Amino acid sequence: MPLIGALPQPISSAPFVLLVYLVLILLIGSALASVLLRNTLYGIAAFAASMVLVALLYLAIAPFLLVAVQLLVFTTVSAALLIGLLRATTGIRASRVGRLSPEWIIGTAVSAAMVALLALVLGATSWPVVACCAVSESLGFALGNTYAVGLATLAVILGSAALGSGLLLLAPTLPSARGGGSATSRSPGGEGSRTVRR
Amino acid sequence: MTAGLNLVLVASAALFAVGVFAVVARRSAVVMLLGTQFMFMAGALAFVAFGRFGLGATHATAGAAMALFAGAVAVAELAVGLAMAALIYRDHRSFALDADRG
Repeated sequence: MPLIGALPQPISSAPFVLLVYLVLILLIGSALASVLLRNTLYGIAAFAASMVLVALLYLAIAPFLLVAVQLLVFTTVSAALLIGLLRATTGIRASRVGRLSPEWIIGTAVSAAMVALLALVLGATSWPVVACCAVSESLGFALGNTYAVGLATLAVILGSAALGSGLLLLAPTLPSARGGGSATSRSPGGEGSRTVRR
Repeated sequence: MTAGLNLVLVASAALFAVGVFAVVARRSAVVMLLGTQFMFMAGALAFVAFGRFGLGATHATAGAAMALFAGAVAVAELAVGLAMAALIYRDHRSFALDADRG
């Protein structure tokens, strides 16, 4: 029995390789856009697009369980947290970019090209049916047995993060030197919290 | 033309560089948090690439498992970081992190 098993071969199907290249280019582009855009809402949208593109890349090279978790859990939770922060702080304003502006046209063209390439890959190969269904059971088995302690640790980390962020948001803030801050204090009679603006 | 380990690792390195740029060069706390997310994402991508192309059949799921853990830790870090960003905004009416802001 070999030490590490047979090494898998790189992807060689032409439309599949083209899809991987395009996804990687778009991934780097959307990552750059999310850190360079001045509008925070657009930055968050570019970040969510990056997460979706990573999920699409995982669909090509990783088990299907990771794709599902990346797409349904990580992307959704991250985008919801970021948009929740915006709603709680600066608010979300409507876009001032018109529907027929160059940004919308370029975005629509890139999306259409992606969908066309995806359709081409799905038509020319048996992806993702072969990729998804063979390894996902073994990943679930590995997570439940080999990495059981890791999963438990992860649950503790996630619970601690939720508790810590909740406590941080409930904690009173110190008055700023410029006098622009606010503080949340709890009334002695136990009537709940109130916000004091200084 | 093939797509193998080298291609995904180059993309992972580029993604990590974007994250480092966001953390080092930008002032907004939200963009810095996005930068740390990109660094986590790059690490997870490298784990998956090694699991798919580099480790062999007996370790095919190890990289994916590590990527799952890295993603979950990234989400936890994002939750705490966003709570801190909300506190910063509540106090200064801005997400900017400046040492000389006063």
